[in-house]
Amino acid sequence: MGFDPATLFRIETENVAFNIYSALTTYDAKTGAIVPDLAEKWDTPDAQTYTFNLRKGVKWQGGYGELTSADVLYTFNRILDPSTASPYRGEFANVESISAPDDYTVVINLKTPDANFLHQVASYHQGQIVKREAVEKYPDQYQLNPIGTGPFMLDRFVQNSEIVLTRFDDYYKGPAKLRKVTYRIIKDDGTAEVALKNREVDLSGTISDNSVLRRLSDDSKLTMNRIVGYAVNLQMFNMEFEPFGKPLVRKAFAHSLDRDAIIHATTPMTGSRSDNLLPEWMDVAAKDMPRYDFDPARAKALLAEAGYPNGFSFKNTGIAVAGGASEADLLRQNYLAAVGMKMDFEYVETAVYNQRRNNGDFQLAGRLLPAVNPDTILFGYLHPNNMAPKGFNSARYDNPSVTKLLEQARSTTDAAQRAELYGMAQKIAMEDLPYLPILQSSTYWPGWASVKNVVINKLANVDFWPVTIEG
Amino acid sequence: MGAYLRRRTLQTIPTLFGIVVVVFLMLRMLPGDPAVFIAGENASPEALTAMRTNLGLDMPLHLQFLTYLGRILQGNLGQSLMNGNPVAAIVAGALPITLVVGGLALVLSFLIAIPLGAAAAFTASRGHGALDHGVMIAALIVDTIPGFWLALLLMLFFTLQLGMFPATGALDPTNPGAFLARLTLPVAVLAIGQIASVARITRTSVLEVLHEDYIRTARSLGTPEWSVLFGHALRNAALPVVTIAGLSFGRLLGGTVLTENIFALPGMGTVLINAIFSRDYPVVQGTILLYTLMFVAVNIATDVLYTRVDPRVQL
Repeated sequence: MGFDPATLFRIETENVAFNIYSALTTYDAKTGAIVPDLAEKWDTPDAQTYTFNLRKGVKWQGGYGELTSADVLYTFNRILDPSTASPYRGEFANVESISAPDDYTVVINLKTPDANFLHQVASYHQGQIVKREAVEKYPDQYQLNPIGTGPFMLDRFVQNSEIVLTRFDDYYKGPAKLRKVTYRIIKDDGTAEVALKNREVDLSGTISDNSVLRRLSDDSKLTMNRIVGYAVNLQMFNMEFEPFGKPLVRKAFAHSLDRDAIIHATTPMTGSRSDNLLPEWMDVAAKDMPRYDFDPARAKALLAEAGYPNGFSFKNTGIAVAGGASEADLLRQNYLAAVGMKMDFEYVETAVYNQRRNNGDFQLAGRLLPAVNPDTILFGYLHPNNMAPKGFNSARYDNPSVTKLLEQARSTTDAAQRAELYGMAQKIAMEDLPYLPILQSSTYWPGWASVKNVVINKLANVDFWPVTIEG
Repeated sequence: MGAYLRRRTLQTIPTLFGIVVVVFLMLRMLPGDPAVFIAGENASPEALTAMRTNLGLDMPLHLQFLTYLGRILQGNLGQSLMNGNPVAAIVAGALPITLVVGGLALVLSFLIAIPLGAAAAFTASRGHGALDHGVMIAALIVDTIPGFWLALLLMLFFTLQLGMFPATGALDPTNPGAFLARLTLPVAVLAIGQIASVARITRTSVLEVLHEDYIRTARSLGTPEWSVLFGHALRNAALPVVTIAGLSFGRLLGGTVLTENIFALPGMGTVLINAIFSRDYPVVQGTILLYTLMFVAVNIATDVLYTRVDPRVQL
């Protein structure tokens, strides 16, 4: 764990980094639209050459002077350098060259046009700008001594205990309202609930237990800051596993589940229905998708048509948690059994699960991929270049017409036309159904009502710059 | 005594070596690649390969072991795979918390359990079975309450209802009041877990001693009952109690792992659990080695304590 944007991951760490660093662009917290950050403005004639004009007078934390184009160059080259071993190097795979004609201009040339490239330089992972002198000062320990241009600085990090941020008074938008932000690391949801109610903490960012959330939402002193449907949780069919290789079987699977009932019964607070790979809030998310409503008779008929009149058995690989199978898993198991699909559980630890999922070593598994760039999801899941173990395409989906539509969409600068191409790709993908969307996930930062301006962005991060505590 | 200590210390070397080998091998036998955990679930295969080389995970197993062993012999526990911090520093930061919590719990449990056990034995010897049974049944019930559940119950009552003790928060030794308040609940949970077994063994061995001739002699000489019980009986019943104390220390260490996690205390247990889940081999190895050292040291100390409690014991 540490705060080097080149290597960090996981939501808790990302949220700290989000408040320490800035990037060329960032996201409007409410809409998810790209807005200026360190780049005041930018220009691209053809979605292949991007010219960024940097804001002047942006100060580095820790007395490292003023931000210039050299810092941007250093940051992006560092990501691209294989010896950095950044997992986000692939995000810049399309970059041909980066140059800095003067101190406040950065020009990036792409190999192929990408109308979504502004997402790649936004304040998330590889986009966050670091300072060469600070990185080189702590060769092995930079991640514990991060320096950024954001509203807060890392003051103290006590492993397994707390992270303390203090305000950076020279932040280019002006100093934040809060002088100090302390993250308490609490692993147990029950303990977090007690700590919040007892006001040992003002806000809580990681509670996902629906019954805890339900109890907190009944407490009138608290506000349930939330974002509905920020990312889609889906089931991935390994199409190399014989039955799942057949589209009819995958459709039968979809029709056998009463997904609304399962959500209502198990995760009413954190889930809502989804019929698409993209979350609804994305501007290119298509409407009128195939729905696959609950229809066990049809599921049985489809199975028989696919050559499995007596059903089949398969394994669902998941993360081992205390208490074994989740209620939602057990309900799914029952619904599937009713039409003849026998689902066995195989629970492994997080480290094993990640490894197996990356290698595509499963029959059925799940994934939640938070993203703002539609390409992260659509190219990730559907493009043959990203087939496991190289990328997110764990289903091993390869439909040339979808591949072509995606590549066309990416290089199209006209927004309406691009949305149409993306829409067609989404519909074909949902017809082929290599992945079955299970729900759109909501996330909560329950807090005391006097804590204002807590807006959770589409990557489930909170910018503490505007946050205030009244009274 | 000096010769005994030397011999016992030498005897611990094979034990420690055994633990080092077993822990090393068990960790590697666990499925799950630390590189995947460190680089993130979205890492590319090239990034993973680079990560494994950086971490020395691409070396053959026996070379990894020899390197590790060589480092231990030089007193170097290695570095965390997750953030490059020296294991010694991580453990040094966590150890005091575990020692304070565990030590306080041990003292508290003995302060409660020994008088309780002695009283139960006394009433039993006098034929007042009701109190004896009551105490022992209560001990049995308390003994079967899972620590994590008890922790949540105590939190609900003392933190939320009464607002007496915080459930989480920083540990600041410069503010003793707040420091003790923060530790009260975890110490209580751990102590309660120890009381039953210590009370039970105290009761049994005191009861046995109470039937000895010298107790009758003491009573016939008019010695007050409290003095008979605490001055004569308890002292002579102390040997099994000391034994149990040494053994229950192991159970107590186990208890700190869960309790620290629930109360968000950054002690050894929390370090260990997080390191296991993230496959941070050096940290797991270092933490378990230290746990082993503590356990071995306490057992030697127990043996030495025998000679103080019972002069007949010669080492």
